Amino acid sequence: MLKNQIARTILGRLGRALSVGFWVMVISFAIMRIIPGDPASARLGGVEAEAIAQLRKQLNLDGSIFQQFSRYVTDLLHGNLGISLQTGRTVIDIIGSTLPLTIYLILFSTFFAVILSIPIGTSIAWSGKAPIVYTFRGITAVILATPNFFIAMVGILIFTVRVNWSPVFGYEPEFPQNLKYLWLPVVVNTLIMTSVVSRVIFSSVIETKEEEFVETGIIRGVGRRRFFWFYILKPSMAPTVVLLSYMMGTMLGATVILETIFTLPGIGREMVNAVLTSDYPVVQGILLIFGVITVFLSFVGDVIAYLLDRRVKI
Amino acid sequence: MSGNHLLEIKNLKIDVRVTKKRRLSIVDTASLIIEPGQIIGLIGESGSGKTMLCRSLVGTLGRRGAYIASGQLKFDGIDLISAKQSVWNEIRGKRIGYVPQSALAGPNPVMTIGAQLAEAILQDENFPKADLEKRSLELLNIVQIRRPETVLKQYQHELSGGMKQRVMIACAIAQQPQLIVADEPTTGLDVTVQAEIMELLKQIRKDFNTSIILVSHDLPLINEICDDTVVMHAGTTVEKIPSKSIKASKHPYTLALYNSRIDLVVPKGQLKTINGQPPSVGSWPEGCRFSERCDFVKDKCRVKQDLPLITIGTSHETSCLRYDEIAR
Ligand SMILES: Nc1ncnc2c1ncn2[C@@H]1O[C@H](COP(=O)(O)OP(=O)(O)OP(=O)(O)O)[C@@H](O)[C@H]1O
Ligand code: SF4
Ligand SMILES: [Mg+2]
Repeated sequence: MLKNQIARTILGRLGRALSVGFWVMVISFAIMRIIPGDPASARLGGVEAEAIAQLRKQLNLDGSIFQQFSRYVTDLLHGNLGISLQTGRTVIDIIGSTLPLTIYLILFSTFFAVILSIPIGTSIAWSGKAPIVYTFRGITAVILATPNFFIAMVGILIFTVRVNWSPVFGYEPEFPQNLKYLWLPVVVNTLIMTSVVSRVIFSSVIETKEEEFVETGIIRGVGRRRFFWFYILKPSMAPTVVLLSYMMGTMLGATVILETIFTLPGIGREMVNAVLTSDYPVVQGILLIFGVITVFLSFVGDVIAYLLDRRVKI
Repeated sequence: MSGNHLLEIKNLKIDVRVTKKRRLSIVDTASLIIEPGQIIGLIGESGSGKTMLCRSLVGTLGRRGAYIASGQLKFDGIDLISAKQSVWNEIRGKRIGYVPQSALAGPNPVMTIGAQLAEAILQDENFPKADLEKRSLELLNIVQIRRPETVLKQYQHELSGGMKQRVMIACAIAQQPQLIVADEPTTGLDVTVQAEIMELLKQIRKDFNTSIILVSHDLPLINEICDDTVVMHAGTTVEKIPSKSIKASKHPYTLALYNSRIDLVVPKGQLKTINGQPPSVGSWPEGCRFSERCDFVKDKCRVKQDLPLITIGTSHETSCLRYDEIAR
């Protein structure tokens, strides 16, 4: 009966994720069609009508909107996201070559941010000592108020210019070699993420420790370690997990700043380039991928939060 | 002879830090003695310090910025005021079981009921893990929870108020403690559940010779199950009296509480209420803290002084200066 309820809740949430996923698809389809003007003529400028008609066809802009949409969906199901107007590569190919870098960047920095934030957030919240709390609040506020690119540039100044521990530019996509290029952006991103995540854990633990059941744990004589895991950390984790899944989604686009400064060929940069060069199929494809990943992450985040703490409504 | 009492609280004073410099007394001159197997009812208006007094028994005053400023507090001969962590480890959950006031919010929301019971049971390091389930079910049976196998796998939000309360009691009795502190264990529950839980506490006392402190606002309830009733007013214990002779109280506050019992109101009669509001913490009057509400007040009551409990009969102590002049 219990297992059933869990399954039902998760399935319900999955249903919502799928329907949001559908709308993501509709929006990525609509975006090229709702921008003012005609993408094809905008791109080709004042050339002859034939070429424009040709491009309209290639961009799937001919025929009724329903025909366009059904072609779009059929293509999607065949794994066809179109062809870049700029380079002639398939959009799938472009995503496949730029997305992994960004995912590495996000996964590594999320991992380290969590590893750092848990001890920092919980210990400061638990001690509750005013000077420590003020210092913590101050430092994280400063980091959050500083623009990302500035932190990144300070990092480059120190580690590339001064001590030359990190290459100035370039990238090798294979796993262990890529770390040489990725570690500094990961450090910078970890620093920024840690400031947010540790704050969330901090306030969440502050809230938890006032709760009645925490006192119950003390009165029951629960051992230190158990007490920390089950009475402090676990009840405080749900908001953090939800936040993390959300942050990871938004970072897909936000890492463009880091990718630009560190000249990394990630998907954020690709997206900006595509927008600047009016490469509509690429914009459309990347938007779709961002949307799908974001929807997936928030689904996973919600499910984990729910499994950690059944009070969470998902 | 004091070594024989299970619990001995004498002139306890609990202060709370309001700001860095400012201290406020929330309990002052509270005294209470409990013998093994005794059920004591602790009664008094909201804010009179009942919960704070109970918390001092498990050393969690610090969580609310409060601490014991003076007085004595001994449990089975152990001084709890200077108790170190190692002493608390031997007492909490093992020798003193505690059912917190908001037991409805008491169970841990991220652990199953089974996990929490296991936690309570395994306070005894030598308990064989193989018997865990059996013992858990046994405890749930003692507190009369139906379908205990299911409940073990459930979370607190899946339980009703009465069930949570019973679970908290089950956890509190897991180690067969010498003392159970039950802080308003039935507030907010309906009358039949209330009666069942009271029966349960009585049964536990009978089976294990456990002493119980039962905090309540409900005088009839306390009268029914407690051996002695201790009345608190404005942070102090004003009277200790055998429950069955509560009518022969020698303290105006106790009498006022008794007379304001809803069950005494005759159809056309009026519900008598106690004069005024309880004095709030920080603005207690000097001398007798009931003086501003008392029908029997005389000038001598307002003279600055401590009013400790004076023994005036068997198990009967009062702090009223005019006890020999008052009658109901
Ligand atoms: N941290 C604190 N700072 C200041 N005053 C406090 C603090 N904690 C408790 N008090 C005060 O101490 C007094 C006693 O509180 P306590 O909870 O012991 O009352 P109680 O008798 O249990 O009341 P109730 O019947 O409502 O549970 C109250 O007046 C309360 O306002
Ligand atoms: S001491 Fe005086 S004021 Fe206090 S209860 Fe007794 S008669 Fe009333
Ligand atoms: Mg209380």
